[in-house]
Amino acid sequence: MKKGVLLFCFDTAEVRYHKILERCVGLVKKNLKLEITVITNFETYKKMKPMGFVNYKFIDPELGNTKLGKEWNNVDRHLAYDLSPYDVTLVMDIDYFPFTDNLRQFLDTGYDFLISKEAYDLTGRQSFDQRRWSMIDMVWATVFVFKKGKKAKRIFDMVKYVKQNYRYFNDMYRIYSKNFRNDYAFAIALQQANGFLHYDTLPIRLPTLPTDCSILEFTDRGVAWRYNNEISYTQDQDVHVLNKEVADV
Amino acid sequence: MDISELKKKSDLSYDIAIAKRNALEKAQSRLVVVYNESVFRADAETINLVKTLGESNTSPFYILDTNQNPVEITAPDEFLKILIQRNQEAISSYHQMSKTFARRGD
Repeated sequence: MKKGVLLFCFDTAEVRYHKILERCVGLVKKNLKLEITVITNFETYKKMKPMGFVNYKFIDPELGNTKLGKEWNNVDRHLAYDLSPYDVTLVMDIDYFPFTDNLRQFLDTGYDFLISKEAYDLTGRQSFDQRRWSMIDMVWATVFVFKKGKKAKRIFDMVKYVKQNYRYFNDMYRIYSKNFRNDYAFAIALQQANGFLHYDTLPIRLPTLPTDCSILEFTDRGVAWRYNNEISYTQDQDVHVLNKEVADV
Repeated sequence: MDISELKKKSDLSYDIAIAKRNALEKAQSRLVVVYNESVFRADAETINLVKTLGESNTSPFYILDTNQNPVEITAPDEFLKILIQRNQEAISSYHQMSKTFARRGD
């Protein structure tokens, strides 16, 4: 069975996402030791440094989505099933940095689709309790694993349907943020596709640094950050960095 | 001890508490183990359950994974070895970190 990692990367006017991708690819190679396919466009690809053996697939990203008033080209995640060349695929945001091999083992399960429902705030503020912001439990589409087959296809078809009718679903579930978010699109699709009942999840909380943390140092073992005039660090622990200035560290 | 010194100590205690919590979270992530295509936590409960059922000469036996799906265990000794190995790897790393925190808090 062919297994690999799928990453999406599109530069915007404000953020050089390709710089973030370069860090992520290095860590995937070092710690997960899996084949990598990057979904990108030619404009972004031209700026990437050589990263060794990596597959590329070029698409034109769907434009129009924003986050905090800035361009945010992230709405193509529903294409992961069609674009992945693997039988079992780990899809990750490029700002999720795998400093461990923890995720590797999830490609060896019998599950068709696994996703995380929880994030862990490394600053200790528990700022990711998303239940207050909608009538549905949010999932974190930051990291998920799927095995190609009928069940996974059904979930992705549902994600596409939710995306096409996102405004309706957004209103129905009373989701506070009005922009398109993969997290909610997948949460809604999973709920709908599983008969409004339980679905299988990854039993991990994604360690996350909120946007107000400045990244001070980034090594191949971990990150140091400043929050509220305090400097902290973590090493040998996966980290999802929400502050896109990590591209410039 | 004046108030500024107390504040410094308080800030330090807070930093240590957060760092310790993060280290525990790191250990919790490391406790997750995939075996027989299913997902388990190599925690005390799973280890005790597998050891108890293994010693009861019930073979094979069945336990629930982290998604509450039943899994057949046919080689309990092998599974127990993996669980203990992963548990001790995670907890000993947490122990090392804890010693660092204790020194910082002195």
